[in-house]
Amino acid sequence: MHIFFSDIKHLWKNKLTFRAAVCYLLGFVLLALLLPWLPLPFGPNELHLNQVYQPPFESANSQLHLFGTDALGRDVFVNTLYGARTAFFISFPVAAITLVLGLTAGVAAGYFGNSGFRVSRASFLGVLASISFMVYLGLYIPLKAELLLPGHPLALVSLGALLLLLLLLWFVVVPLLQKFAAFRETMALPLDQLLLRLIETFTSIPRLIFILVLSSFLPPTVLLLTIILVLTYWTGTARLARAEMLKIKHLPYFESARSLGLTSWSLIFRHALPNMLGPLLVSFTFGLASLLAFESTLSFLGIGIPNEIASWGRMIAGIRHNTAAWWLLAFPGGFLLLTVFALQVCNYFILTLIQQKKL
Amino acid sequence: MAAFLFRRLFYGLVALWLISTLIFLLSRLLPGSFGAQILEAESFYSKGSQGSREAAYQAYLQRTGLDQPVFYFSISSSAEPAGIRHIFPESDRLLLRQLAWQYGNPELATAYFRALKQFDNPVEQPGQLQLKARIQKLHASIDPETISSTTDSIYQLLQGQQQGLVLRSAAEALIGDRQPYRALWPAFSWHGVHNQYHRWFSDVLQGDLGKSYRDSGAVQDLILQAVGTTWWILFFSMVLTGFLALELSILFVRQKGGKWRRLLLPLLFFLDRIPVFILALLLLILFASPAFLQLFPVYGMGAYYVGSQSWPERFASLFPYMVLPVICLVCVNLPYITNQFYRSLADVSQADFTRTAKAKGLSEGRVIRRHMLRNALFPIITLLSDFLPALVAGVVVIETVFAIPGIGRLLIESVLARDYPVLVGVVLVVALFRVISHFVSDLFYGLADPRIRLRS
Repeated sequence: MHIFFSDIKHLWKNKLTFRAAVCYLLGFVLLALLLPWLPLPFGPNELHLNQVYQPPFESANSQLHLFGTDALGRDVFVNTLYGARTAFFISFPVAAITLVLGLTAGVAAGYFGNSGFRVSRASFLGVLASISFMVYLGLYIPLKAELLLPGHPLALVSLGALLLLLLLLWFVVVPLLQKFAAFRETMALPLDQLLLRLIETFTSIPRLIFILVLSSFLPPTVLLLTIILVLTYWTGTARLARAEMLKIKHLPYFESARSLGLTSWSLIFRHALPNMLGPLLVSFTFGLASLLAFESTLSFLGIGIPNEIASWGRMIAGIRHNTAAWWLLAFPGGFLLLTVFALQVCNYFILTLIQQKKL
Repeated sequence: MAAFLFRRLFYGLVALWLISTLIFLLSRLLPGSFGAQILEAESFYSKGSQGSREAAYQAYLQRTGLDQPVFYFSISSSAEPAGIRHIFPESDRLLLRQLAWQYGNPELATAYFRALKQFDNPVEQPGQLQLKARIQKLHASIDPETISSTTDSIYQLLQGQQQGLVLRSAAEALIGDRQPYRALWPAFSWHGVHNQYHRWFSDVLQGDLGKSYRDSGAVQDLILQAVGTTWWILFFSMVLTGFLALELSILFVRQKGGKWRRLLLPLLFFLDRIPVFILALLLLILFASPAFLQLFPVYGMGAYYVGSQSWPERFASLFPYMVLPVICLVCVNLPYITNQFYRSLADVSQADFTRTAKAKGLSEGRVIRRHMLRNALFPIITLLSDFLPALVAGVVVIETVFAIPGIGRLLIESVLARDYPVLVGVVLVVALFRVISHFVSDLFYGLADPRIRLRS
């Protein structure tokens, strides 16, 4: 892990392009975080109906619209900046959650394989029961109750009942079941097969189509979009983490660590995870670049993201009504491309670093 | 070999079934269907009475099969009233649900609700306005005090008429028999084969994908029509991409190609990251807009000819409309495909038989095209199966930008209009397409590489 960071430091010192890209990305993050406190002349949804389709760098009525305005007189410059903020706040959390989710699933599947994960029948039944309780009492009833009777204590009662049931289950029922030999017997969970089948199902239709369909069922909100994106993006990281784990599992150092009798926990966290840091970082930046592009594609199509939120795609979509207004595409699109390219450059350097180390 | 192929096909079909079932169930379980929205809209032009609108809604449910339960069984809260999907409009449904959840007794809540609905078409009588105001108050309230006091005053207002008595006793029963936490208890009900899923699935197996909510056209006809347009774009861009990728990778792998490789590979690398819609819009405003160069028509797929057209004529009329979309799709897919071709060729160029071929004194072009290419092409076959669905996804954006009436546009339109039968149909067709292309690539791969055939 230390070596990896010192390699990155080395890159930072020697490669100017890498340094430029990282600086740009840091600036981008800072801009996205600090934007509401910056002194901007207009709001992102502020309309100026007397100044529509104003070309960039021209001032009219003593109001300078730096990057011009769109069909409703919204300032392109401000919208481009706010679009960056929206893109960041959607793609960064999604990429982070995806990383954690995919890593957990992939590492578990790669490490335990089809026969390595054994649980007693009693705990297996306990897990199944817990999941059904959580879905019904923890999700269905509280959501329905909040929807139908806001302010009614039903939701809280339901969550309380869930807690009580879970305590009862794990401290009374499961230990009681463990007393019987038939329930104490362990069974292997085919984690690897499960994960592969799940990935196959989730990737059986192209991602864009899957997201379009899912978002048509739900009202367009940022939270729901995040959930949908996580649902469709975790498969890539999971696949990568599984492959890396399988590779590491057969390396001599890992086998000797295992023969020392270390626990699975320390094997995974101390010995496997630091070794896959590089590929994971690449997958993270790659996912981030892809999500940025994806977010703007969705907002361009007008699907999944509420129309009141400023985004690059919303601004760019305006050009379809007036193909002469090139600035609607040039500035938000250019900003988007620059960000994606910066991520790509970082990716490229880290990838070559990993490949060099392999040789 | 056969066992391997069938196992792959089986898994593919299972994934297809799972995903289409998931999407069908989601589309039916989540609220807000297209028809209900239209029928509920109380616009200036729809002067129909409440009763006629309700009759129309029931007929709509009957016609689309939406009156049946969604799946073979259902698990819901036991406070959920039965037959809720027949209640119309949405606000009444909400009221009944709220009553049932608040008092935890769906049967009494339904009885009270029915008694309340008796007042919807009242006969002319004195005190009409007061009665109406009170009924409206009851429609907006689930609070026990308001309900009991209002039903009381209605009873007094009607001076002992049957209706008032029924309403008051229903309200008393409801308020008296409260079971506040019954909602926590689940209710399991078995519906048998008379459900929407069973109906949909057996129709799909017979090749019937249902009817569009928007124009009642058969979904399979709509899809077939759209695929007809998309197919040509896909076909041309695939052929062109394949050809360009092959030639570029041969160029890169040549001895003298190093210069080109250093120049073009980073370029392709960046081209790969440009989002499709930006590329498409760029092409559109540069080459099809009056503000810059107007070389190609902007939108659509040409005029619709009623008369019979010969094959070349039809193609010639379509050609100008297809240039930009095809270029766009080629640009989007070229980097990845070229990279894969080049990698595969570069691997083969290290092989012993290549060295032997070179040592025999064959020319470089001959070594590449006769000896290396055949072996390099094997891994590329699997690429086809990933390539086709990616193309379909690209088509969604491109058809939207260039306004081409193909499958991608059909999908976007049905998403925006929440036309679920079309949506589910498109997803099913795309997923089926993918399963077939996987199967074909497995087949070819097995045929091309005897090692795979023999191993399994």
